[in-house]
Parts: sequence; C-alpha cells; structure tokens
Amino acid sequence: MNEQLIEQITKMVVEKLQETKGLSETRKSDETMPVNLFAEAPVGRAVTVENPEADPAGAVTFHRTAEQKQPSAAPSQMTAAEACKKHDTKKQSDGKETELAELRKKTPARVGVGRAGSRPKTKTWLQFRLDHAAAVDAVYGEVPDELLSRLDLFQVHSRVADKEEYIRRPDLGRRLSDESKQTVMEKCKKGPTVQIVASNGLSAKAIEENLEDVYLSLEQSLRNLNIDMGTTFYVDKGRVALMDEIGEMLQPDVVVMLIGERPGLVSAESLSAYLCYQPRIGTIEADRMVISNIHKGGIPPVEAGAYLGTVIQKVLKYEASGVSLVNKEG
Amino acid sequence: MDQFNKRHETIISAGIDIGTSTTKLIISRFSLMNVAGTTHVPRIEIVDKEILYKSPVFRTPLLDASTIDTQGVERIVRSQYEEAGVTPSQIETGAVIITGETATKRNASEMIHHLSHEAGDFLVATAGPDLEGIIAAKGSGAYDYSAKSGKVIANIDIGGGTANMAVYKDKKLLGTCTMHIGGRLIEFQNGRVSSISPPVERLLAEQGWRLRVGDSADSPAVQQVTNFMADSLARIVSHDVASEDQVLLLGHTPSWQDHVDAIVFSGGVSECMYQHELGQVQVAEYDDIGVRLAEALKRNNRLQSFDWLEPVETVRATVLGAGTQTTEISGATIQVAPHELPLKNIPIYQHDFMFDLRKGLDLFDSAISEAIALYDSTREGQNFALYISNLPYMGFRDIQTLSQAIIRLMEKRPDPAQPIILIIQSDHAKVIGQTLVAMNVQQSVICVDQINVETGDYIDIGKALDSGVVPVVVKTLTFHTS
Repeated sequence: MNEQLIEQITKMVVEKLQETKGLSETRKSDETMPVNLFAEAPVGRAVTVENPEADPAGAVTFHRTAEQKQPSAAPSQMTAAEACKKHDTKKQSDGKETELAELRKKTPARVGVGRAGSRPKTKTWLQFRLDHAAAVDAVYGEVPDELLSRLDLFQVHSRVADKEEYIRRPDLGRRLSDESKQTVMEKCKKGPTVQIVASNGLSAKAIEENLEDVYLSLEQSLRNLNIDMGTTFYVDKGRVALMDEIGEMLQPDVVVMLIGERPGLVSAESLSAYLCYQPRIGTIEADRMVISNIHKGGIPPVEAGAYLGTVIQKVLKYEASGVSLVNKEG
Repeated sequence: MDQFNKRHETIISAGIDIGTSTTKLIISRFSLMNVAGTTHVPRIEIVDKEILYKSPVFRTPLLDASTIDTQGVERIVRSQYEEAGVTPSQIETGAVIITGETATKRNASEMIHHLSHEAGDFLVATAGPDLEGIIAAKGSGAYDYSAKSGKVIANIDIGGGTANMAVYKDKKLLGTCTMHIGGRLIEFQNGRVSSISPPVERLLAEQGWRLRVGDSADSPAVQQVTNFMADSLARIVSHDVASEDQVLLLGHTPSWQDHVDAIVFSGGVSECMYQHELGQVQVAEYDDIGVRLAEALKRNNRLQSFDWLEPVETVRATVLGAGTQTTEISGATIQVAPHELPLKNIPIYQHDFMFDLRKGLDLFDSAISEAIALYDSTREGQNFALYISNLPYMGFRDIQTLSQAIIRLMEKRPDPAQPIILIIQSDHAKVIGQTLVAMNVQQSVICVDQINVETGDYIDIGKALDSGVVPVVVKTLTFHTS
C-alpha cells in the first residue's frame, strides 16, 4: 500500500479520536504529529483505570482474569470518614499527576501514559505504531542526491545489491564494489590525515537530517586545528567496518565514518560517528570508538561536529583509538 | 565498561564565612567524573564532596565597631590552612562570604577582595543578604530536604546580626527575605546591657519599651524584644507582614508567594537549640541575647504550627554552603582561551532568542547597547558576559549567522579588545566558539555552556581543569521574582 496513504489515514483516525473526546487540544498539535516523537502529555487523565461495569445487564458476563484485592465497597456504606479520605485521594491523585508530569519530562520513554483495562489506550497505541513505521521508513529510505551534491560528495556502493540483502548480509556491506573501489582510488587524495566517509547505514533519515551540520562543523573544526582532510565521499548501504577497507586503500591516519544508526522508537534519525586510528582489514572492534546519539533530541549535530575535531586531535596525539586510546591515556 | 569512566579528577575547595559574630572555614575535596556513557559526549559532574577540614568557630576580629581587622582575619585563615595542611595555591575553587552586620563595615568590600585574592587561586568573593540565605539553605540541608519531601521549606539562618530566609520547593528558589534578628543585637557585660544595635533602638522607640545601656540584663524589655522578634519572624514566614514588622526588615518584604510547610533553623542561634557543637573545641562564649532568642523561637506558638526539621549543620551551615555548594561545572564541550582565566566578577546580560533566530538577531543590537548602558554607562571598559538563552534548533549556517552578529556587536563595546565572554544555555558552546575562531575573531573567546544565569547575576570562571571543563561560581546578588 501507498505509504503516504497509510500516514494520512492514521492521522485522520487520531484526529477523529481527539475530536470526539472533546479535548481542548488544538489541531496544530495534530499537524505536528509526524515529527512529534513522543507525546508530551497523555490525552485525558493519565492514570485513570476504566473499570468494566460491575453488573452488566446483557448476556455477556465478565470474568476477572487477574486476582484483585477487595473490589471497592458499595457506595451506600461510605462513612463520613471515608468520604473525607476520598477527598484526600483526589488531592493525592492531583499530586500524583504533577509527579507523573515531572517524570515524563525526564525521559522520552512512554511512561505514565495510562491504560484502558489491560491494554494501552488507542492514542498511545497509534503513536507507537506511527513511531514504529517511521523507524521502518528510515531503514528503507534513500538519501536525496540534492544533499550530496550540495556538500560536493560523490557516491559509491558497497557490494550489497538491495536493502534485503543489506540486512541479511552484513559482510557484503563491509566491502566496496569493484567499480566503486576504482572510483575511490581515482577521485580520492591518498594518505590524508583524516578521511571522512558518510553512509546511510540503517537510517537514511539520519543522514538527511544531520549530515550537513555535522560535516560542516567537523570540517571547520579540523581546519581550525590545522588537520589535513582527505576527499570525503558517500557510500550507499555501507557498514561501520567498511572503514577497514577504505583505510587499506587510502592509508589515512584516522577514518571518521558518519553513519545512520539503527532507528529506535524514540528517534529514527540518530547519527553515529565512528572513529578509528589507522583502520586496516582485520582491525578489531575494540579499537573503534563512537560518538552516538547525534540528532535533534540528542547531541546537537553542530556541537557534535565541533567536538569530533578535538577527539580526532587526541587520537592523532596518542596514535590510538578505542580501548588502546584509553590505555595509553592512562 | 566501568573502567573507561573511572578516571577521577579532584579539586580542593575552600569556604570562608566571616559573620557578625563568628568566622569559620572549611576545606573540602570534590571528585569530578565523566558521568556520560562511553559513546556519548562527556558530561563532567561533581560526584563526591568530602570535607577535609572544619575549623573551630572563631570570634570575628574587629578593630573597632565599624572596621574589620583584616590582618586578624588573614591570620585566622593562614593558621587554619596550615592546620588543614593546604596552601593557598592548592585552593582551586570556593567562596569567601561576608555576612550579616560585618558586610556593612567600612572596609568590608576591600577586605573580602583582598582575602579572595590571597587565600586561593580561584576563591570567589560574595556578599549580599539574599545570597547568604541561599547559601545557608544549601549548607543546612534545607535545599536537599526540599527535593526529597516535595514540601515548601523555609531555611531561617539566624546569626549574630541578621536572619536570612530562603524558601525552596523541589530545589527551586521561591524567594528570600532578610530581617534584623540576631543574637548580637543586644550584648551584655557583667549582667548589664553593654550595647544595643540601631535596629533594636528603633524597635524599642516604636514600641515604647525602655531599655538602655547599663540596664540589668534581666530587664523585662529584653524579653519583650526577643518575643517580638519571634512573633515577627512567624508573621514573615506566614507571609502576613504587619506594619510593626517594617522596622526589622532589611531590604525587601518576603518574595515568595507559597505557603511554607516546614522550617529549618540554622546559624549560630540554632546552635543554641540543637547543640551540635557541644563538646567540640572552643566554641566562643557569647554574652548576648542569642540563647534567649532561641528560647523565644522555640516557645512561639505560631512557629510551632510549622513542621520543624533539624539542620545538618547549625552554626556552620553558611560556611559549608560557601565551601561545597557554590561551584558549578560547565559543559564539557566548550571553547576557552586559557590565558584569560580566571575571570572574576563578570556581570551577566541575558539575551533571550525566544526560539526564533531571526527575531532574536533583530533585537540583538539593542540588547548589546542596553548591556553596555547597564554595566558600562561611563564607558570605562567594564566587560560583561553575554548569556544567550532559548536558541532554536540550530544548523551550521545558523551558527555562522549568529557568530557574525556576535563579532559585529562585540566591536561596539567601549573597549573592543576585551575577551568575548559568552554563556550559552544549550549545548552549543564548542561550535560557536570554534566558529568565532574560524572567522578570525581578534579577541580571545571564552564560550561556555550549560550554566543557568540571568541578567543581574555575576559570574566567576576558573581555570580549565584537566578534563577540559571550567569551574564556575554564579553569584545571584539580587533576587528576581518571576
């Protein structure tokens, strides 16, 4: 089915739900839905439990599936003291609501979103489905050519034929195709101090959103530090360890690989920068290091680029990266 | 994974409190550690504070009623450093605070700046009744209680000269208030009144009570005064200020709006209530109304209606706060010109971008002119720090636009050669600093982030530590109600 259509329908359903609830949420917040990675506040009263009718009149009988402590006493038996207590609980639940709001502020995780019986509320569930769909889209998306030409990057390919193969065969994502190897050897400066490589990896969205800011900021940082830079290029469907082959081919001191992270339900556009000192075929994973979580809601891409410059400076100083760097630093 | 994070860095901090009656000193050691995960940009925080040395409580040396004995204070500090086994050059952060009546002495400002210079590499001079209350609340434990309990807690620090109140809820400052209530406002000698401070004289006159120097210490007027102080304090805490309380107010009326749930007493007078120091070395003997004031507070019915929480420190709350609670650590990704540090007493000017770069830049010119008018009206070259808050999401080209504007506007300062000092609210200090450098800015650049300040605050920035961060002390000299 058409992806846009699915999104439209989901949006419509969510809108309908909110309208019928008659909540004061404006439509504006609905319009921002696709980028609203997690709801800032749950809709309605978050911690209410919707109890099934205690005595349904119809033919359907409800059975308790879970053990429950003492169902609430009949209302007629409520004493003054209990009424007072009830008033207190209302106060308490208000307090709890502000406490929950505090907690929600501290994490993008879906906490305190309430429930309907034993399942999530429809809004929560749809939001979850939407975020999941965004994650899937990120994996199957493509990086726009316009971005690459704006940054003056040429494109090469790994040995992977399509996305399905990319996912099934990580080994093929770690090697350049023969044709690409030739292109790289022709176009790239040999033996630079720093070689930057970008790849969509598992999230094209991450590259689309963050590459420009990280790259320009990193470039500036390296220039300030007088560190020599090679010819940057973009690899379609690459894996992190592709840097080993590139290291072998171009003999740089440091390879920086800017690659889309596997998308999650909080962010589908998170970028990682993997670094390694003189990566060669057979380099062990412990010698790689990474700055992850580069996106709008994590480390701002511009700041990450600036910070990467100082990390590269350190790697060059100690002539080591990863665990070896930690050991040398003492 | 833990082994990557284990690299600790320690710095030594000193706190010195020169109060109306007493002077004390505290030396502590902070451990700094990267608390971010190995794959994240580092985040350096103070993870442990260890008290290395607590001095005894000394009488504040005075030359006469209006002059502090600077040399006497310095002698105390030097002797205590020796006792603690530290030298001034080892002190990397901390604060000297001059409190209560001492702050009004003729040579107070001169003395405190001299001392902050002599007693440590980066020791910050602080004063001001609101700040006293804030620091005492942090030292007494009231600040921490407020987060644990979720209650509105008023810390009332009563020393020799003043009572400094700071009200907190969930570690958020709700307001402050300072009153002329203190142990040393009436002093005795040989069972007779030997001195009465001016605010108490005014109170006596207003109420028509008779008390003069030379009267018996047991005169009923003394009791009347202490009872009045307790009543007045209770009214202030309850936000129920009566006209007769004005005489005891120092500065503004209570600036909090909330109902106070619990109170914590700290300061010398609270020592008379809790006796934390009992059996410790040479607690100075005081012949004044301190003990009777403590009695009056304990007896007061209205004060009893609040929850009373015991402070973790009594007489030492302020010095503990000054020594351990004033230092903050900047973000780890910053840009600083090492030769310009430390910088002291830099006033802050805040420019709020309101999450809109265009609008923020449109107002940028007038903001800088205003900052210059505010802090350097005589155009003598008093520098200021620009605090940039509420930036929108920034791309690299936005950063360049902003940096260009900063360079252009900083040239407008009366002395454009001074370093450009920027404090960025969001995590952007490194990139903005680097962009300024890339644009060949002529001045040195100090660009730090993740510090919360506002117009009217003063900031001191220490030397960069090994982990790349700088210690920062923010001094809120004026209190803003929102």
